[in-house]
Amino acid sequence: MVVSESNQVVAPPIQRGGFFSNLATGLKSLLKGMGITFHYFSRPSTVVTQQYPENRATLKMFDRYRMRLSLPHDENGFHKCTACTICEQACPNSSIRIVSRKGAVTNKTELDRFIWRMDSCTFCNACVVACPFSCLKMSGDFECSVYDKSLLVFNLTRYAGPTSTVLMKVTDPQERAKMWEPRDVYSGPVPLRGTAVPGGGRTLGAPEPVKASAPVAAPTPAPATAPAASATALAVEEEGGKK
Amino acid sequence: MSSWEVKTIAQRAAEAMPESVLAGAGYVLLAVGFAAAFMALMGMALIYAERKVAAHFQCRLGPMRVGPHGIFQTVADTIKLLFKEDIVPSQSDKLLHLFAPYLSMMATLLALLVLPMSPVVQIADMNIGVLYVTAVTGFGVLGVLLAGWSSNNKWSLLGAMRAGAQIISYEVSATMALLVVVMFSGSMQLSKIVESQAEGWWIWRAPVIGLVSFVIFLIASLAEISRTPFDLPEGESELTAGFHTEYSGLRFAMFFLAEFINMFIVAGMAATLFLGGWMPFHIGGFDTFNSVMDLLPPGAWFSLKSGLVVFLIMWFRWTFPRLRVDQLMKLEWKILLPIGFVNLFAAAASVVFGWYFFPIR
Amino acid sequence: MSAITVTSLDERIRRSIGADGGASTTQEYFVNMGPQHPSTHGVLRLVLKLDGENVREVIPVLGYIHRGVEKMGEHLSYRQFVHLTDRLDYLSALANNWAVAKAVEKAANIETNERIETIRTIVAELQRIASHQLWWGVFGMDLGAFTPFLYGFRDREKISDILEETIGARLTMNYIQPGGVMFDIHPDFQRKVKEFLTYFRPKLEEYETLLTQNVIVQERMRGVGVLTAEKAVSMGATGPVLRASGVAHDLRRSEPYGVYAKAAFDVPVGRNGDCWDRYWVRIEEIRQSMRIIEQLIDNIPEGKHLVVKPAVRTKVPEGIHYSQVETARGIFGVMLVSDGKDVPYRIHVRTPNFNNLWTVTETAPGWRVADLVTIISSLDIVVPDIDR
Repeated sequence: MVVSESNQVVAPPIQRGGFFSNLATGLKSLLKGMGITFHYFSRPSTVVTQQYPENRATLKMFDRYRMRLSLPHDENGFHKCTACTICEQACPNSSIRIVSRKGAVTNKTELDRFIWRMDSCTFCNACVVACPFSCLKMSGDFECSVYDKSLLVFNLTRYAGPTSTVLMKVTDPQERAKMWEPRDVYSGPVPLRGTAVPGGGRTLGAPEPVKASAPVAAPTPAPATAPAASATALAVEEEGGKK
Repeated sequence: MSSWEVKTIAQRAAEAMPESVLAGAGYVLLAVGFAAAFMALMGMALIYAERKVAAHFQCRLGPMRVGPHGIFQTVADTIKLLFKEDIVPSQSDKLLHLFAPYLSMMATLLALLVLPMSPVVQIADMNIGVLYVTAVTGFGVLGVLLAGWSSNNKWSLLGAMRAGAQIISYEVSATMALLVVVMFSGSMQLSKIVESQAEGWWIWRAPVIGLVSFVIFLIASLAEISRTPFDLPEGESELTAGFHTEYSGLRFAMFFLAEFINMFIVAGMAATLFLGGWMPFHIGGFDTFNSVMDLLPPGAWFSLKSGLVVFLIMWFRWTFPRLRVDQLMKLEWKILLPIGFVNLFAAAASVVFGWYFFPIR
Repeated sequence: MSAITVTSLDERIRRSIGADGGASTTQEYFVNMGPQHPSTHGVLRLVLKLDGENVREVIPVLGYIHRGVEKMGEHLSYRQFVHLTDRLDYLSALANNWAVAKAVEKAANIETNERIETIRTIVAELQRIASHQLWWGVFGMDLGAFTPFLYGFRDREKISDILEETIGARLTMNYIQPGGVMFDIHPDFQRKVKEFLTYFRPKLEEYETLLTQNVIVQERMRGVGVLTAEKAVSMGATGPVLRASGVAHDLRRSEPYGVYAKAAFDVPVGRNGDCWDRYWVRIEEIRQSMRIIEQLIDNIPEGKHLVVKPAVRTKVPEGIHYSQVETARGIFGVMLVSDGKDVPYRIHVRTPNFNNLWTVTETAPGWRVADLVTIISSLDIVVPDIDR
């Protein structure tokens, strides 16, 4: 190996000798290679295969693993999103649509629906980084396979209303309940379009009944699948476009 | 030194025939059934073994899902292949295309008939056994050539042409290596060759010569059955799948099965000729030691030896890359054949002068 | 452009067969290698003119995975465009990101700090090792040895895990941003990188034993597909392909970016430009990358990981801005034509694989089909990078 002044290493030429020396070196090199493979064959501890569905319990993804986008809700069931649409602008492929509304009590813009299209998302994390309130997170839940592409459209918010900061300022539960309305959480593959939205039974666009109940600490997620009502989420997008 | 009475199924049939035609026919049926069942079962077992061995060479686990440790994986694969659509290319030579897999299979089956797996498990024992095996294994190239030609695919044709050149060339070296053992044992009958190793296997009884001819036989046979590092006819990364690119379903399965049984036949032949076949490990003169070795039945010895050679062949496959066409020819005609010739002369000399352990008295 | 190529190709095929007319005893024939072929590494189509096993002519036909990345970039802000470069040469995603980030930083006068540059250098070098590991495995598989493929992937997995812990993605990383990196390094990053280096050193020796010293591999590579230095330069080959031809041109050395100027490393160069040299240069580059990482991993200075706000829109002054980095395959350049807005007027990407691939038209004729596979594999092409 020649190391010259200018920090270069020059490739060594392949050395070849006579018939018998070639035969000997050749056979030796082959046997050495066989030694390597046998080393691994004879040591079952070197097996690196992960038996995936069986090891689900022990399989931990890294904290930063970027898969399903989520809008974390605090222990009261409120989030921090102000519907500022910065994430929507940051998204390179328009996978996020923020549907906002004028708050009934506060008379300010607040989040109505946070629609995330996993089918076009590239998991580039731009929305999470761009969010000025750090209210978005990409979680390590990677088991997202569905049979219908339209099931990959999620609504990330559980309620339409202001942020948790605004809501927690209001101490009276009755007053607080007026400020927000439940929205169907599309935490699993659930279609968005259709007359009946799972869990609520409301028609999209129709005035939603105000529920008097106090905010649920952990709202029950919608049923896992409801293929009967499945369709695309275009209706919601048009809805958002009008607003 | 214990003696084994060799009784092949063909002999039994011939003995039974004069008294009762039915009994004779029964033996013939037994032979046919045995060969067919052996091919299917051994094929599946070898495919499973190959996948497991390959997996562990590569730090993997291999099939683990179907049955405990995936032992029924090949059964599932076989069922899948049986039910797959058999696609025949519209521009192909249909008759030959359909016929080629059977030819390939037939060669394998014919070679299987004379393999002595134990003194009693052998279908036929010809007095020209070695010659017969050489002849019928060479027959397999016909199936490969026809498959490549009739597929009307340029990649298939390339693969077939490679196969033709390769198999025909390497048969020379393989035969050279076989001749050494024929010379030592003085017979071409496989059972006689096995019995001639009652005092020691030819691989060590004829010092160096036996080992060299074993290596030559192994290399040449690998090339004949197109296993890595000589899998040029299939050459996955070069020719997609070589001669069987256009085959699917059952016909593909036949090529596949023939390939794996060929591997077993090579292992069996290597075991028979160089490692004593079903003969236990004997050293001439050490009678106590020999009788201890006799505790293991001959069938087990044969399985062990051929299993070892099969493992060796798999080991080669999962370690070495493939040779190029011209290097393949160079290896045969410039390296293996000269060494084989020299070895043959050396063998002749040592037979004449008795330069080997425990000369035949 | 591709339409013209296809017509002329058909014409050439027709002419060739017509000229022969079956008069001669042997006939040259055309055969399609790809777009679906095990060793074209994706959807690359090579039209081969063969004489028996001998290759007479190689005509690459491109466009099977063209996605119009450059056109898509015209509708995205500079920051958003970064994530598309992941999808060009997916084995050098970080280096590609870096090229865009560098171009934008140069144009918009963003000063990054030492920490950012060090992190960038380390992750880019880690990915260079990962890329070469994958190439080593695939090279073995193209030569017919399947086992190296899994060994290469097994060791690449370690790097993937390290990068995944810090970045959150394994392939399309989108990590290096204009003005910094997306996340600061994970607390475990330095420890794990050092663990990897100690783990991988003996493994690299095994690589050498398994393939480099193997007589079959050496014979398959020796003297095959010689690319002279003149040809390599004139065809625009870069990276290990160029260096194997004896031209010691490495951007990390000739125009140092990041903190490469601070690290001591050697540039491996070949003697003849054959497959063996290309192979050896890559193996040696793994060693040199490990050297670079070893020098830097303990000396990551303190500082912020992002010097600009993660604003959506960065305005870039009017003009043409170009920057280039050395990826695992060669020089990856990004040209941004800006009209002063927050989206580029035009983007052009100079990808190394495009130029490297075309050297096969020079090197392969005269060799056999099996050698062609070796030559293509030794070029280490990534097809999405060629088609963009």
